[in-house]
Amino acid sequence: MRLEDITVALRPRQPWESVDLGCAMVRRDYGSIIGLWACTVVPLWIVVCVVLRSSPEWIPLVVWWLKPLYDRVPLFFLSRAAFGVRPGFIETWKEWPRLWLSNCLPALLWRRLSFIRSFALPAQMLEGLRGSAVNRRIKTLAMDGGGSGVSLSYAFSKIELVVWIGLMLGTYGMLPESAQPDWDGLMSAFDVENAVPAGFLWWGAACHMVVVSLIEPFYVGAGFALYLNCRTRIEGWDVELAFRRMAARLTSAATALVIAVLTLFGLQPSAFAAEGKDPDKVVKEVLERPEFEIHKIQTKEWVPEFKTPDNIDSPPHLSAFGAIGELLFWVLIIGLVVWLVIYLVNNSHLFTSRGASKTAVKAPKVLMGMNITRESLPDDIVAAARAAWAAGDFKEALSLLYRGSLSWLVNRRRVPIIDSDTEEDCLVHVMQAGEKIEADYFRLLTGAWVQVAYASLPASNDEMGRLLDQWPFIEKGGEA
Amino acid sequence: MAAARADTLQPVELADGVEIQLRVAGPAVRSMAYMIDLLIRIGIDIGVAILAFWVLPVMIGPKVTGGLVMLFMFFMEWFYNVLFEAGAKGATPGQRSMKLRVMSVTGGPVTLAQAVMRNFLRVVDFMPGLYLTGIVCMLFTKRFQRLGDLVANTVVTYADPPTAITPNVEIRAERRAPSQVLTREEQAALLQFMERAPLWADERRLELAALTQPLTLAPGVEGLRRLCGMALWLQEPEEKRGGPPPIKGAPLFRS
Repeated sequence: MRLEDITVALRPRQPWESVDLGCAMVRRDYGSIIGLWACTVVPLWIVVCVVLRSSPEWIPLVVWWLKPLYDRVPLFFLSRAAFGVRPGFIETWKEWPRLWLSNCLPALLWRRLSFIRSFALPAQMLEGLRGSAVNRRIKTLAMDGGGSGVSLSYAFSKIELVVWIGLMLGTYGMLPESAQPDWDGLMSAFDVENAVPAGFLWWGAACHMVVVSLIEPFYVGAGFALYLNCRTRIEGWDVELAFRRMAARLTSAATALVIAVLTLFGLQPSAFAAEGKDPDKVVKEVLERPEFEIHKIQTKEWVPEFKTPDNIDSPPHLSAFGAIGELLFWVLIIGLVVWLVIYLVNNSHLFTSRGASKTAVKAPKVLMGMNITRESLPDDIVAAARAAWAAGDFKEALSLLYRGSLSWLVNRRRVPIIDSDTEEDCLVHVMQAGEKIEADYFRLLTGAWVQVAYASLPASNDEMGRLLDQWPFIEKGGEA
Repeated sequence: MAAARADTLQPVELADGVEIQLRVAGPAVRSMAYMIDLLIRIGIDIGVAILAFWVLPVMIGPKVTGGLVMLFMFFMEWFYNVLFEAGAKGATPGQRSMKLRVMSVTGGPVTLAQAVMRNFLRVVDFMPGLYLTGIVCMLFTKRFQRLGDLVANTVVTYADPPTAITPNVEIRAERRAPSQVLTREEQAALLQFMERAPLWADERRLELAALTQPLTLAPGVEGLRRLCGMALWLQEPEEKRGGPPPIKGAPLFRS
């Protein structure tokens, strides 16, 4: 064992942290460990199964009881791997009998139920002590790491149990019906003999073996790491390692100093000559290391080729393609424009505003039972009204004026009057439409008309004269 | 070569190029913390149920009480860990009792989103029963992460700084500068030696001191004395004076 070759980072750790270190060590070499495990433990299990074939319910207990035997091969591997030598199959095969036989009886009998099993195992196996010396050694170590050894055993036995149940729960559905126990019978009669079929027991034992194979190496590794941590604390392994490295560095530095002094005094041996190496070779070796690898970054830049005037006379068939392409382009553009226009025309109602859409409402022809089309009225409304007034037909005169004004407002001013509107509504619409003169006149007219129509109260001559004179509904520059 | 050493520390490079080490915690200690949390949760659930069925049925009837208790249990199951882990301490009571805390893999505190993600994925880790997936996943990942941790980018680490053993022993040695320039690791080893030497046997101390003969240039007890003197010097290179200590390692002027 050379401490310089250690492949584990030594440092005084908290107990749980060293347990984690053990897990990391096992994980690093889990493939090799499980391979050795398969070679050594599985044959034993086969023997156990054959012996206990008539009563499979005892197999898990026996497999569990024999655990101290299984621990030894992984520990052997880990203790070697920690110092940089990973033993192969043949080496392990040669060591196997010794590993299993030494301290075998105490481990399987009175030390089987020890709570610090995996923590004490390295002391028993690796320190080469015998008899009472082992006991004393374990006691010494347990003063420092015993408590953590107990909680380690507790944690891992709990994990093992939980994983076992988890595995059984996970694979229960895959069992054939004949192997599934009759839970109702089990609950009611508690008749274990008949209710639990042998297949179930065999399957439980197999799951247990899988789980032990999965967890036990980690338990051993954790105990070993706890042991290493204990030794590191008690004996300062990490300090020793650092001191050894420092001594090596300083001694080589001292020799280099001596050589430098010798060269200074004209004696020939150079540093490399002293080591018997060819300087060129060393330089080449150094330059071949990854640090000296020259990395190159190649970037390609795309430069667009601009056509010089020389290149303009391109082959004719290409220009024909070009012409066709241009034609297609224009056809496409024209088609698009035509389609757009048609679309706009077809869907023009989508683009016109709400106010404008109201003007699209057809102007009513009949309002309050009166025909207000332009055709039904005389050409000169005012003259006709004046004549009617002179003739004494007041109602006819005002009716002419009122219809004429409505006709104008509806058809020319596009006031939004609909055919169900009353006089009041018409007046409101006209007022809202603006045009103050027209609105004022229309208010007067409506008042007069309502009086004559519903109360048969004719307007006074003055009023009528005003209405006739102020008639505003004329085209600019002439009568309508 | 040093990189190949098995270790539980996981280096994380921070944004400004500084490297820190996360002390990630493995399945054993985490299972202990989980057990404590489980017991706390069950205890609270039972306590609340007893209290609720004692007080509430008179007011709102037994069925509504049952519903409320079940609702409470639901929230305990899903948000107990989330609330504690996203809190200031970043740890549930169980984790705190085992001196653990949850962290982001970048070394920062865990965010609410990460806490929610890693705890809601417990369902996946629980499959096919009793955390089988989670335990196997933890055993075989480098940072002992279960699936929820892998998805949420979190790790469980040890919360407390490593305790330094400081024995109250006066070291009678003359302070002296090391005869050679030492690297950082070597300086650390010297200081470690001085701190931990009182815990070791006399023979072991001499044995270790003898290893440093190229530095101390003296055998036996004299070597040990010189080694301790150098460690003292490293601890405090100069005699205590009134003025402020010189700034080490920083250039006084920038060229």
